[in-house]
Amino acid sequence: MSGQDSYEHNLLARASLDHCVKCTICETQCPVAAVTALFPGPKYVGPQAERYRQGQSVDRSLDYCSSCGTCTLVCPQGVKIAELNSVARAAMKKDHMPLRDRLISRTTLMGAAMRPVAPLANAALACRPLRVLAEAAVGVHRDAAMPTAQRQTFTAWQAKHQPPDGAGRRGTLVYFHGCAGNYFEVETSIKSVELLEHLGYGVLVPKQGCCGLPLQSNGLFDTARAWVRRLVAQLDKAPQDLVIVSSTTSCSGMLKHEAREILGVEDAALRAVGARTRDLCEFLLAEAERGELPLDFAPLDLTVPYHAPCQLRGHGLGTPAVQLLRLIPGLTVVESGAVCCGIAGTYGLKKEKYAIAQAVGQPLFDKVKEVAGDLAVCDSETCRWQIEKACGVRAVHPVWLLHKAYGLS
Amino acid sequence: MATALVIGAGLAGLAAAIRLAQAGWQTTLASKGLGGLPLSAGTVDVLGYAPALLGDPTGRVARPFETAAALAAHDPSHPYAAIGADRAEAAVGWLRDLLPELLTGDLKTNITLPTAVGALRPTCLVQPAMAAGDLAQNRSLAIVGPSQLKDFSPELCAANLARQTWQGRPLLATAYRIDLPARPDEADSPALAYARSLDQTAYQRRFAEAVKRRLKDEEAVGLPAVLGLRDRQAWLEVQESVGRPVFEIPLPPPSVPGLRLNDALTAAAQTAGVRLVLGSSVIGFAAAGRRLKSVTLRQAGRDQAWAADAFVYAPGGFESGALSLDAAGRLEERVFQLPLRGAGGSRLGGQETAADLGRLINADYWAEQRLFAAGVAVDQAMRPLDEGEAVFDNLHIAGGLLAGAVRWSEKSGEGIAVGSAAAAADAITGRR
Repeated sequence: MSGQDSYEHNLLARASLDHCVKCTICETQCPVAAVTALFPGPKYVGPQAERYRQGQSVDRSLDYCSSCGTCTLVCPQGVKIAELNSVARAAMKKDHMPLRDRLISRTTLMGAAMRPVAPLANAALACRPLRVLAEAAVGVHRDAAMPTAQRQTFTAWQAKHQPPDGAGRRGTLVYFHGCAGNYFEVETSIKSVELLEHLGYGVLVPKQGCCGLPLQSNGLFDTARAWVRRLVAQLDKAPQDLVIVSSTTSCSGMLKHEAREILGVEDAALRAVGARTRDLCEFLLAEAERGELPLDFAPLDLTVPYHAPCQLRGHGLGTPAVQLLRLIPGLTVVESGAVCCGIAGTYGLKKEKYAIAQAVGQPLFDKVKEVAGDLAVCDSETCRWQIEKACGVRAVHPVWLLHKAYGLS
Repeated sequence: MATALVIGAGLAGLAAAIRLAQAGWQTTLASKGLGGLPLSAGTVDVLGYAPALLGDPTGRVARPFETAAALAAHDPSHPYAAIGADRAEAAVGWLRDLLPELLTGDLKTNITLPTAVGALRPTCLVQPAMAAGDLAQNRSLAIVGPSQLKDFSPELCAANLARQTWQGRPLLATAYRIDLPARPDEADSPALAYARSLDQTAYQRRFAEAVKRRLKDEEAVGLPAVLGLRDRQAWLEVQESVGRPVFEIPLPPPSVPGLRLNDALTAAAQTAGVRLVLGSSVIGFAAAGRRLKSVTLRQAGRDQAWAADAFVYAPGGFESGALSLDAAGRLEERVFQLPLRGAGGSRLGGQETAADLGRLINADYWAEQRLFAAGVAVDQAMRPLDEGEAVFDNLHIAGGLLAGAVRWSEKSGEGIAVGSAAAAADAITGRR
């Protein structure tokens, strides 16, 4: 498997290189280059630098890319800029991968270790002297947002859960919760399943591990490939004609496109799983557009800021949550208009990148503080943690509001 | 509710989407990436040059819509013939009123502005920060730029201006440099780095004071177009500190005024309720007879049919890849394989012969390149035509894909884009 990190292997991204006309639109939209001179911009470290790489990069500024994917999204010529840069960075870090990056990329390990001692773990993460120590020892910034450990996992809840009558009358779905959805964002996963059952779907939850995204964004490609293949096999244990619905937008993006476009995993099973995967709001909006979503929402007299995460925008769907939430009477949704919250998975946790990540997120934080009472809405868990920490508000997945408007909470 | 899908995020696509949404249509705008606005000068050209029509060697147009009407009568294959000069004027006026903070001009007369290389460029609407560059107002100019800005040479600009006359009188222009990095210790900054620094009040003052110290008795001060990206009042702050009229000179891409226009129109689209779907390119379509049912969008993980009642196709021309000419001489429009026409309505498409290509591509770089007039011929509803018949009843074309004009040499790109976008949207919504 190794050798695939060599920069030549990613033919898909490499084939797009010649389409770059050096228009610099990616540089104007890059949220990192906008706030620091340490990162010269996606074109500079991407299509431009690629010509000088023989496997190794000629400078290390590439490491300041946050992998948010905005460059690829805005490119008018279809150049896979973010993908090229991810592959080049993996090659660059191969021989000196920091221990910190190996640790923070293992969400399942972290969740499993924290759950049995959840109150203790949460107290430790809130304890300044310990965080200062951790910053010095491992390089995780003392002020970086951390998830809150839960006493019960989603899978433990699911094992005891009795679906209501009528769940299954409209067919069966597979639910993909992701590791954060199992250990940290348990309530989001529960609400997602309850909502789908309320709509009449039976929900299958096959045993599932990590998709490998944090490993990928830290450049640990070999393990990431093994993990995403394992996840595909696990999801395939459920009948293979079912739609897979996910409330974890970055992990479903991994299945849909990133594993293929960045890791270069090219197999039929991954393609088939990716094609069956729907982001939860994508799935619900499609139901609404077919006239099959019940619109018996109770009014919610609220104004909330909504932030579309970079990873969601990478799905190429627009912002389905906005259309969906606007179906709820009384609810006013204000789009953040911001590019990125800064966290980009694990980027904003790192000691040397924390200040950049906060500066990247500042326009979003300003907007949230301007609009929010005490609630913000965002589809991705790491972005929600970042928003909560920076703005002092509660940040929830859109499913929380839908769940409430259906009278389920 | 009736649904519309607009393809393309340039000026034509954004304008069509806003107009459709304002008329109450549920509108989606799908695009592979951002459109071309960030690469534009951020002005609205309507018609700058018409040498063949005016019989004047400079060919410079003073009254853009009046001359566009004459051009349409003279050449029925020109986009302004299908759009109509009056409809184009109303549409450009609509755009100006949509963005009052960002576009100014009286629609009747062109304004002549200096370019970054010191040429004179006619255009119709300009950004307020550029207005004092109108040579009809000021002709004794200081041209000032920071040494650390890589895309602007005040000496080149001023020396070329000073070689020219305007309305019979010589232009006076003097170059000055200031020594002020955009960010500490940065030796060669792009325009955007300056614009972001100039969004901050303290930097606006430092910049203005550095400029002011260099000036002599010039009437107006030309500065590179970096006077703020988000702060639309930044140029006024600078002008106030400098103490005389200042004007921005647009630079090569990435263009700060172009980005302002792109940001403002994107925000206007969101306000109007347009659903923006970036990162999805159109790869195919499904039709029943002359009715287009859906287009196929390539999204992450799968291809999805996107149905709508009406479609506006505004993908641009060769520059975006919507039109392509391969090495074997095959010229095509890549999604719908629409019939193509060249300048004067000549038939194109399919396999062009070497002789055909010889007529389209001129070996003299400065001569007219007729290839770039290639595109789609349309009726007054902007529907693509084949032998005088609409190819689809509910597909409408806007912007750079239209046949019949070499937009950058005659300086008509934005007028055609906005005019055709409005004509397409109005044909869909039944507004006149």
